[in-house]
Amino acid sequence: MSALLTWTSALPVLIILSSLIPGLLIFATPEHARTRRTVLNLTGIVVKLILVGLMLRGVSQGLEFRFELNFLPLAPLVLHGDALSLQFITLSSILWLATTIYAIGYLEGSPLRSRFFGYFSLCVSATVGLALAGNLVTFLLFYELLTLSTFPLVVHRGTPAALRAGRVYLAYTLGGGALLLMGIALLHALIATPDFVPGGYLLQHIDNYSLGFQVAFVLMIAGLGVKAALIPLHSWLPQAMVAPAPVSALLHAVAVVKAGAFGIIRVVYDVYGVEASTLLSLTQPLLWLAAATMIYASVRALQQQDIKRRLAFSTVSQVSYITLGVALAGPVAAVGAIVHLVHQGLMKVTLFFCAGNFAETLGIHKVQEMDGLGKRMPWTMAAFSVGALGMIGVPPIAGFISKMYLGMGALEVDQPWVVLVLAGSALLNAAYFLPLLYRGWFGKPPAKGWKEDNFYGQRFETHWMLLIPALFTAVLSILVGVFAGSIFSPLGWSELIVSREFVQ
Amino acid sequence: MTYALVSLSVPLFCALLLTLAGPKLDSRHAGQIAIVCSALSLVAAWFALMQMAELNQTILLELGGWESGLAIRLRLNPLSSLLLLFTAFMHVLIGVYAAFSRQGVSRDFWPLSSFLHGSLAALWLSADLFNLYITLELLGLTAVAMVALAGKKAYKPAANYLILSLVASLFYLLGVALIYGRYGSLDVVLLSLQTQSDLLTRIALLIMTAGLMLKAALWPLHLWLPAAHANAPTAVSALLSGLVVKGPLFILFLLWSEVAPVDLAQQIGPVLAIAGMIALVAGGLSAMRSPYIKTLVAYSTVAQLGYAMMALGLLLTWQLPQMHVALWLFVIAHGLAKATLFLAAGEMQATLGTKRISGLRGATQTVPVAMFAFAVAGGSLIGLPPSGGFLAKWVLLQPLLSEPQNWPWAFGVLLGTLVSAAYIFRVVAISFDRARINPPDIRPDRVGHWLALLPALMVWGMALTGDWLIQLLAGSSV
Repeated sequence: MSALLTWTSALPVLIILSSLIPGLLIFATPEHARTRRTVLNLTGIVVKLILVGLMLRGVSQGLEFRFELNFLPLAPLVLHGDALSLQFITLSSILWLATTIYAIGYLEGSPLRSRFFGYFSLCVSATVGLALAGNLVTFLLFYELLTLSTFPLVVHRGTPAALRAGRVYLAYTLGGGALLLMGIALLHALIATPDFVPGGYLLQHIDNYSLGFQVAFVLMIAGLGVKAALIPLHSWLPQAMVAPAPVSALLHAVAVVKAGAFGIIRVVYDVYGVEASTLLSLTQPLLWLAAATMIYASVRALQQQDIKRRLAFSTVSQVSYITLGVALAGPVAAVGAIVHLVHQGLMKVTLFFCAGNFAETLGIHKVQEMDGLGKRMPWTMAAFSVGALGMIGVPPIAGFISKMYLGMGALEVDQPWVVLVLAGSALLNAAYFLPLLYRGWFGKPPAKGWKEDNFYGQRFETHWMLLIPALFTAVLSILVGVFAGSIFSPLGWSELIVSREFVQ
Repeated sequence: MTYALVSLSVPLFCALLLTLAGPKLDSRHAGQIAIVCSALSLVAAWFALMQMAELNQTILLELGGWESGLAIRLRLNPLSSLLLLFTAFMHVLIGVYAAFSRQGVSRDFWPLSSFLHGSLAALWLSADLFNLYITLELLGLTAVAMVALAGKKAYKPAANYLILSLVASLFYLLGVALIYGRYGSLDVVLLSLQTQSDLLTRIALLIMTAGLMLKAALWPLHLWLPAAHANAPTAVSALLSGLVVKGPLFILFLLWSEVAPVDLAQQIGPVLAIAGMIALVAGGLSAMRSPYIKTLVAYSTVAQLGYAMMALGLLLTWQLPQMHVALWLFVIAHGLAKATLFLAAGEMQATLGTKRISGLRGATQTVPVAMFAFAVAGGSLIGLPPSGGFLAKWVLLQPLLSEPQNWPWAFGVLLGTLVSAAYIFRVVAISFDRARINPPDIRPDRVGHWLALLPALMVWGMALTGDWLIQLLAGSSV
């Protein structure tokens, strides 16, 4: 802290504070002060987006954003904005905007909204902090804060089912957090905790501590794998579906599973480094695990009749694409992995928004009830279709780009079997998404009318705050696919990251 | 040293004054005087600590001006000055709580708490086995009297506590007598140069250890603690769990790390460490099963002392000074967190009119601040970053992880973490239940709830000074 606080060192802190401070103020906001709460929410988001924009510009020009505070011996608290953190921050800030608007519409008139939005903002602060973390100890800190701030959201409804899901969630994530702590403490005991470096910092010690490094890797991946929902640590995610739809969006797209996947990226690329992880023969088992998760979760998704549960298993499968790309340990696959972080987020958040709309508007929760939805809610159904087709990998939607890079990456590192796994997963994706689309567009609406029919005869097919975010993210998922060639697309940015990671 | 003496004598004089004044002073004035005295002691302790941080060495003072061996010797080092500060802070905090929250205390609380403060301060500064005996006895008697403040229902636990406390003191005294007979000295520094690992010394040390473990409620001699701590008045429970059990622990630490010969210490080390691990798990499991809020918190003390015992045991086994940092960080972090837990538990009990954990349904809505305080303090007990509990656990883990043969110990810490998480979140999860809310009997007492939150915030803030604290404690290693 002795150094002067310049704007480049203050910016990472400000980005975290821009959601933390509104969050704390929202806790103190009385329940009925709806306007004040909305203003606080939106101010926070706008400020954050501006700050993130500033940082994006700075990083693309090669500026360093670093903040340091004494914490533990040889392990300070470091916030560091690099290209990889910005990939995640930009995603979560934009999706935070969409999800907040959605949540305001979704929770209209329900109790305890101040508590909800307070924790919601804390959750985003933790996510952003985790993205900006400059070393493992800082990462751990925000990783645990994320667990703590999402728990109240998962149990928000306070029903016995919600509490059960919340207990399962905590058991998994706190257990994972403890394992992660052990892994990080082990690495620290061996070689202290320096900053994340592209290419990792272990290679020079590899001869002395190879056993310790392997154990630490297993511990950390197990800890991160809980949030990233790798099998066999994924069961909390489908159970957490009882939470309100905006929370599901947050868990699946904005924050939680992404935090796990992002952590895996950090550990493999910026702590171990591709070379050291290959030398320690760590990447191959991770690759198998990711491939197994992809196939297993897709099969499980096929069996689900509840729309949200099907989407949940689809998340389990899709997030392990990221792990797969990381474990392939080649630059092209790395691009696929890092870009999929964004692409999966955009598409999955769209799907969850739409599923929430179906439930809120017509009371539809099951796949069988989707017949003829397209006639009553064409816009939502269209957005849903974009998300689903993107997940399958239909061009030009975002998902296609990531799958293409992952496939090419697998060939590049001479693992052709992975292409088969990818193809199999795409087929399974099609098998569990296309029936939904078919029912929605070509099925017949139920003769005796919908179970319930809210917002009928209004300007839009549903509440506008529910519809706009879904359309917004659907359009974004197409745009990032169409303009993938531009430098400011997620793909262009991922290539920038990878060019820095794999520089020899 | 002057500052430390001020910090020690102010509460003692205060206790004397309040006792002499007797019923002439009403409870409010007595409270004000006691708080002011604790605050004065706090300021003095702060200066003492600053002085120590600068000097970073041990200062000895011979009271009465006699030469060593005859004189009563006081010793000030960074550790004891930190403990002085911690004790004074806890007394100010609990005093303010007792004076301003709705859950008032009787007039007798004030002289007793001042007395407790004084005897603890004396304990931290003593470096003589007999001196330590006196402070220990004072501490125990005061604590028993404070438990009894809760009225009739607490008489039985208080009586049990009294008997156990006396037996423990006698054990300790017997050991002291044996040591004196063998070496003709009771001064810790002198003894550390003389002791040999013969049979008599062994027996003396073991007897003393048994007494101290009973007093500090270290597993397996902990059975008296939950009843005594759970039945005391809220403010007293916080003092007992946060501070009093740490006194005997300090003596145990002095005894084995300084007085005992190294080879004996290395023999007892693993035993203590294993007992600590069992305490962590067994205490945690008892806390998990307890149907009452305060009993859960009391059992968590038993469990958390396991961490301290583990740190002490491994310190002795490996003769690693680093462990001593972990030990005292645990003590301070636990003290702060436990103050919050007891205050929050007491407040919730009073507001919701139930002692049972199942009565906390919907507590996030009915008593949000107290429940939040409970969760935050619980986070430190679990050891979530960046809390004080995390800091301690981190320091403890480092040597355990650096060598593969030590990894089983780290597994014990992991198990402890998981068990603590289980019993803390058992309470937190119930508080989110919206299905069958327990409506409050009375309006929440805002002052009390916010005061309960304060130490929890401090224990999380403690992490930010982590580097400094570790350096300070590492400087005073023996």
